[in-house]
Amino acid sequence: MTFALLALSAALAIGIPALATAWAQSRIGPAAAASLAERPELSATVIILVAIPETMVILGFVVAVLIVLRGGAA
Amino acid sequence: MIVPMARVRILGPRTELAAAVRAVQDVGLLHLVPPASQPLLEEFLPTSEERRRARALERALAEVEGALAALGLADAAGAAVAAPTAADFARWTRLAHRVRREAVSLGEQIARAEEEQALLAKYHDTFAAFERLLRRDGPADAAVFHLVLRADQAEAKAALEAGLRQLVGPAFESFSQRLPSGETAMLILVPRTTGERVERLLAETRVQEAPVPTGYGPTLAAALPRMREREGTLPRELAALRRRRDGLARPHAAELSRARATLRDRLAQVEAIAQSAVTPRAFVLEGWVPAAGLPTLGDALERGFGGAVVMEILRREAWRAEDAPVVLRNPRLFRPFEIITRALPLPRYGTIDPTPYVATFFPMFFGLILGDVGYGAVLGLAALVLHRRTAPGSTLRSVAEVGGACALFAIIFGFLFGEAFGDLGRRWLGLRPLWLDRESAIVPFLALTLSLGLVHILLGVVLGALSRIRSDPRQAAGRGLSAVMLALIAVAILAALEVLPKALLSPAVIALLVAFPVLVVLEGLVAPIELLSTVGHVLSYARIMALGTASVMLAVVANRLAGAFGSVVIGVLFALLFHTVNFALALFTPTIHALRLHYVEFFGTFYSAGGVRYRPLGHWTPQAGQTA
Repeated sequence: MTFALLALSAALAIGIPALATAWAQSRIGPAAAASLAERPELSATVIILVAIPETMVILGFVVAVLIVLRGGAA
Repeated sequence: MIVPMARVRILGPRTELAAAVRAVQDVGLLHLVPPASQPLLEEFLPTSEERRRARALERALAEVEGALAALGLADAAGAAVAAPTAADFARWTRLAHRVRREAVSLGEQIARAEEEQALLAKYHDTFAAFERLLRRDGPADAAVFHLVLRADQAEAKAALEAGLRQLVGPAFESFSQRLPSGETAMLILVPRTTGERVERLLAETRVQEAPVPTGYGPTLAAALPRMREREGTLPRELAALRRRRDGLARPHAAELSRARATLRDRLAQVEAIAQSAVTPRAFVLEGWVPAAGLPTLGDALERGFGGAVVMEILRREAWRAEDAPVVLRNPRLFRPFEIITRALPLPRYGTIDPTPYVATFFPMFFGLILGDVGYGAVLGLAALVLHRRTAPGSTLRSVAEVGGACALFAIIFGFLFGEAFGDLGRRWLGLRPLWLDRESAIVPFLALTLSLGLVHILLGVVLGALSRIRSDPRQAAGRGLSAVMLALIAVAILAALEVLPKALLSPAVIALLVAFPVLVVLEGLVAPIELLSTVGHVLSYARIMALGTASVMLAVVANRLAGAFGSVVIGVLFALLFHTVNFALALFTPTIHALRLHYVEFFGTFYSAGGVRYRPLGHWTPQAGQTA
């Protein structure tokens, strides 16, 4: 039971930020593509804008790993 | 690094203004800016005669460039004429006008002939089939329909014949022939009185009538012989037209190229003169020169005017460094990484060029994420091939060199992590991790990446402090204090986790509490928020661990799944496919994330964008535009 809860927590820790990141990028992506069509020199800025929400899922992954590792050690 | 620039002022008698501008253009080092306003100094206003001459030059340039474009010589190079006369300009304008008119006319004739040739080639098979069908005898009062059935309209033929039978009874004839394209050419003869009804039937069955190209004759039967004849004569006609165009280009290309370079240079001089300031008897030009180029410019003016025109270097206090144009110049080893810096707006003059730091950390982050001897070797090979096939100084050559550095770091970290195509190196080659096993040592890998992030961000904050020392010492002190507080936060966390002696915890926290109000005083209430966001930036480096672990896990999965297949061949093919996909991901993901760590986290701590690009007044070349 404890293992199941740990696994669920880890899944939520990465799953929810992943959805949030996907939603944010789905809004940024089309706007970025439209901007690039008009001003190709903005490519670096576009990379930054698209990559910013990924921090959420990266941190979610770290938390999920820590939950699994700590749970395994407990 | 950003090349040190010097602001200079060139002064001389007004009568020498045009000659001085020409001398400056010959040197090709001065980036002109409007002179600072001074008493008695006025903006240069051209006379109506000068404005008329400038407009004439623009018109002549438009003619010459139009002629060169019409001859297909837009990129032709030619040196400017040293001392062109008014007669030269008039002759060039006349020549360009005549050549342009002839070249445009020839170009239109060639385009028309090519179009006709393409049309005849397109319908060659169709009309050849009709030619054979038309040889059959039919009644003189028959209406003729020429049809083309598409390959997917095979059933339409039977439906059409059934419809015709119903409409006109047996009084029709149809002939058909399959074309090499899969289409079918069909000829239908019906009594002229039923022509309109047949037309309606064709529309209903959606069968396309072959169009008779215009200009060959009223009917297809009349047009076909003429089209055949044109097919024979067109290649000769086209060759003759092209020969005439080449014949037009050959004698005039060199002169028109020289005319373009001269006109461009002359117009650049006109624009430069408009940037000068004058008194009734003197002129002033101001601009920026790379500090190392000062003697060259000074010597050229001395040689040309013998002291009548002088150059003075303005004292630093007399100008704002922010206006200075920016030239990046880095050692050979770092230079390819300028493509990463140049993707953003240039750094402002007086701040820091991040290229050397990018060259150090970018391949390191890439290597840490990829960390695989096999993938690194493949990437190195690809970079080598690209390097061999690209010209020195080109963007692709820089990409190849950056790729080579990334491959080197990927191989080094591959040995440290004991990875070659995932765990294949361990199983087949006996490769062992020299430092970390990324498959199991997740927490140590996380600690490594966060430590690296801390070092990177601390470096950025220190660079931010250094770049502000001269312009804003108070803010520089605040940045310096932020760096110290960041280090203290790290010490406190490590002491709390007992990685460092626990005795360090209290002093670190006390020091933080003391530093906090000082930071607020130095940088305002926003400073603590910025400090917190900087801590967040350090945590963002955890992505190196996350992506690195994902990369190795994907490679391991590829190897394990390949082994799970019963057949060796299928297993090897599957492994190859999976590794190819993983390699593509392994190129894309580390690049994007290493870029992001630089652009967002690292540059955010010190980078000041908004530098002005250095555009010296120089001689025009087709490749570089107006430059030295």
